[in-house]
Amino acid sequence: MDTVGAIDDAVAEVGKALLGKEAQIRLALCCLLARGHLLIEDLPGMGKTTLSHALAAVLGLAYRRVQFTSDLLPADILGVSVYDRNDASFTFHPGPIFTQVLLADEINRTTPRTQSALLEAMAEGQVTVEGETRRLPQPFFVIATQNPIHQSGTYPLPESQLDRFLMRLQLGYPDAQAERQMLLSSGAQQTPEAVLRRCLSPGELESCRAAAAEVHVADSLLDYLQRLVGFSRERPEFAVGLSPRGALALLNCARTWAFMNRRQHVVPEDLQAVLPAVAAHRLVPSGDYAGDGHALVDLLQRSVDVIRP
Amino acid sequence: MKRDPAAGTLIPRNALVWIIISQFALLAPHLLRLPLWLVLVYLGTAVWRLLVFQGRASFPGRLVRASLALGGCVAVFLSYGNLLGLEPTVALLLIAFAFKLLELVKPKDAYVLLFLGYFICVIGFLFSQDILFVLYSLFTLVLVTTGLVALHRPREDRFRLGSLRLPALMLAQAFPLMLVLFFLFPRIGPLWTVPVKSHAAKTGVSDFMRPGDISELSQSDDVAFRVQFDGDIPPKSELYWRGLVFSVLEEGAWRSLRYNELPGLELRPPPVEPEGEPLEYTVLMLPTQQNWLYSLRYAQPAQRGILSTADYRLYSPVEIEEQLQYRVRSWPLTALDPELSDWRRETELTLPEQDNPATRELAQRLRSEAADASAYVDSVLQHFRDQPFVYTLQPPLLTAENSMDQFLLQTRRGFCEHYAYAFVVMMRAAGVPARVVAGYQGGEINPVNRTVIVHQFDAHAWAEVWLEGRGWVRIDPTAAVSPDRIELGLEEAVAAEGSFLANSPLSPLRYRGVNWVNMLRLRYDALTYRWQSWVTGFDGEEQYRLLQDLFGSIRAPVFAGAILLSGLVVLIPVGWLLLQHRRPRPLPPEQRLFLEFCEQMRRQGITRTTGEAPGSFGRRVAREAPKLAGWAMELTEAFEQLAYGGKSRDAAAYRQQLAGLRQRLRRVPQSGSER
Repeated sequence: MDTVGAIDDAVAEVGKALLGKEAQIRLALCCLLARGHLLIEDLPGMGKTTLSHALAAVLGLAYRRVQFTSDLLPADILGVSVYDRNDASFTFHPGPIFTQVLLADEINRTTPRTQSALLEAMAEGQVTVEGETRRLPQPFFVIATQNPIHQSGTYPLPESQLDRFLMRLQLGYPDAQAERQMLLSSGAQQTPEAVLRRCLSPGELESCRAAAAEVHVADSLLDYLQRLVGFSRERPEFAVGLSPRGALALLNCARTWAFMNRRQHVVPEDLQAVLPAVAAHRLVPSGDYAGDGHALVDLLQRSVDVIRP
Repeated sequence: MKRDPAAGTLIPRNALVWIIISQFALLAPHLLRLPLWLVLVYLGTAVWRLLVFQGRASFPGRLVRASLALGGCVAVFLSYGNLLGLEPTVALLLIAFAFKLLELVKPKDAYVLLFLGYFICVIGFLFSQDILFVLYSLFTLVLVTTGLVALHRPREDRFRLGSLRLPALMLAQAFPLMLVLFFLFPRIGPLWTVPVKSHAAKTGVSDFMRPGDISELSQSDDVAFRVQFDGDIPPKSELYWRGLVFSVLEEGAWRSLRYNELPGLELRPPPVEPEGEPLEYTVLMLPTQQNWLYSLRYAQPAQRGILSTADYRLYSPVEIEEQLQYRVRSWPLTALDPELSDWRRETELTLPEQDNPATRELAQRLRSEAADASAYVDSVLQHFRDQPFVYTLQPPLLTAENSMDQFLLQTRRGFCEHYAYAFVVMMRAAGVPARVVAGYQGGEINPVNRTVIVHQFDAHAWAEVWLEGRGWVRIDPTAAVSPDRIELGLEEAVAAEGSFLANSPLSPLRYRGVNWVNMLRLRYDALTYRWQSWVTGFDGEEQYRLLQDLFGSIRAPVFAGAILLSGLVVLIPVGWLLLQHRRPRPLPPEQRLFLEFCEQMRRQGITRTTGEAPGSFGRRVAREAPKLAGWAMELTEAFEQLAYGGKSRDAAAYRQQLAGLRQRLRRVPQSGSER
């Protein structure tokens, strides 16, 4: 299986830039292969930006990076029409969003108004500026990073926008060995994109997606998936359960995950592997359990633990 | 956000709301018989508790609670004059129920309160077992249960009416069991008696009649009893429901003979020969707190526990505290007392010394003009017809002394008891044995279910005269004055006067002219009859009869077996339905095989956790028991291929793969056990 080998290559390649985070890298790739937008959330300095840069590099896609700040305006992302004196007409100057991979750094530092400017682009692959709808290049991914919500100076993303992200990843501290290796190699002052090799062509990307869609899903697996989703809807710990869109996202990711693991059918492990990344940001904990996001992941883990596949 | 460790043990808001709602719902049916300040108590405690919930007030201290409890007792005492008896104790209970709200801190308090609610729900049946009240009680039952359910719901739950659904469903599921218990649970007699009925006034005709008593009773539209005839209903003018016989006139009032006044030989009714075809009917009597029963004349009870008295009435040795259903056979043509004993004759002729001289004089004059006793009766009735006597619900008051002189010669306005009184006095004064009979006359025929409804306003008094060779003959002097009373009923008889049910403007009986109101009333009455004869009338006797019909003879083991068996008959289908609902679909064969594998591994010491995916478990087995690694991985893969793979869904290939999996499962590597 050729393309799967290319994916493994890509994982290894990104692993060079972000040490000791293979699981998260695989999930991130899974998300992009499933045509989803990715949200990376963690404390500053954990390697969020590095990961997103590296992902764009190994996929060989055109990318732009936008640093979101509180004074960023929608036009700064989408583009503006400027009066051209020579032509005596308005010319549209496309914004950074007209790219294949948009790195939206620290997306929750900007105002909701600017955040929502991304909404149409993420949902429909097009933007409407000054009444004119323009297609974005294909494929189009948003890889956004954000700081944990309780940090100061943040505007939490509304649920509707969180829902547009297929996965949310948390990186966490690296283990001691990986960290030491990173410290040792800190001398090299090269950006990842300069070092990393492109592993997947756009054509391969497309064929991966087609192949993942072919992966078989058995009835018994759908039963399991529905039990997992049902758990989030019934339990009092969750104020809001997983939506049907969430269930669909879960199935898509599980398919892609199965494909990445060289299987032609989805097994319960695939669902369990992608569940926290796909589901956690779509759930709202109820009052008594309102804590940080990690508590939610624990709850999800418990749902995995108590439901027999 | 810091979490209060005790937060989980407080009453959820929703439960509190439902508790308060059910408290008011439980209070409502008692409002008419309890002092109104109880409502203020309920409002006060509810507001207080809600303020506590909002954090704007605090729970009362021990001193406040003690003084509230004491104050409640004092208030009840002031309202009733004592603390015993049914109504004061119910009032005390309801006050305690309200005050308990102020102690509602933890869920355990809520349990106490709600279980008390169930008890109060039952208390209502001491006062009424009407079908509407029973329906209302079912409603309060659902409300209390909703409180109980809300206690177990998440704290965030909002108040919504949909919460009633689950408790209603739960109670509906208990319904078949309720039926079984209703029909089969032994009706155990009271272990001790408390004077619960002290509250209930004696109703209906009393054994003491003074002029004006029955006209007073006629103001009431309550139902006295209902009768279902097996055959045709006799004409209204023949429906004289005998209840009491007044043989003694004392101090201007009639009363019946007391048991200890009867000589030994007179205790039993003199035997008579029944004549003609009997009327068979069932009487469903509402509680009167009295002993006498009503029947048409010459009645024989067809039921144990009902006695016949010497004057041919039916009598119950215990007071009718609950509704009573009894079957009677009557021979209306039978002559009563064909031979009059000396003692009886003397008793039925006795008048107080030297009263009503004018009446005696009139009687003697008419008697001397008549050929025999029978002709004398006719002439007295003729006297009533000829003179300007008026039948009225509003007779003038008579003086205590020589009241009949005053009635016969001056006022000439009276109700049935006046005429019966005067008639009997005139008979006795002329040496004809006579007595006053009280009971009800007529009744309303309900076309819906062919019952005769006898209301309190049908109360009536008439006379019986003993004539040689004919025994006791019924004479109704009222019929002479107002034939309408007998033919059509009280309403028509006093129509001109407009006094029928003048004090109860809302009684549906006043609107019999409005067709649909009347139909609705009659239908509801038919329903009530059915309810009373089937549900509230289902006593130990009825139960015994039912079981006898079902099993022939009844012995303890049969009875116990019937209870157990019918319990099972009800519970098994319900349980089966519930299990069907809950049971997961049967596992496909490959799943069963994999579970077998898991079981084998458990015996080896590797237990699969509930949520562990098959693949993860296979790898764990491989890791923890390296000797089994190859086998376990192969087996797991084969299983995953079968369970989740999509290729070989055609039956033959599937069976082959399944067989392969089964074979693999049998070939456990022997070395595996020495892990």
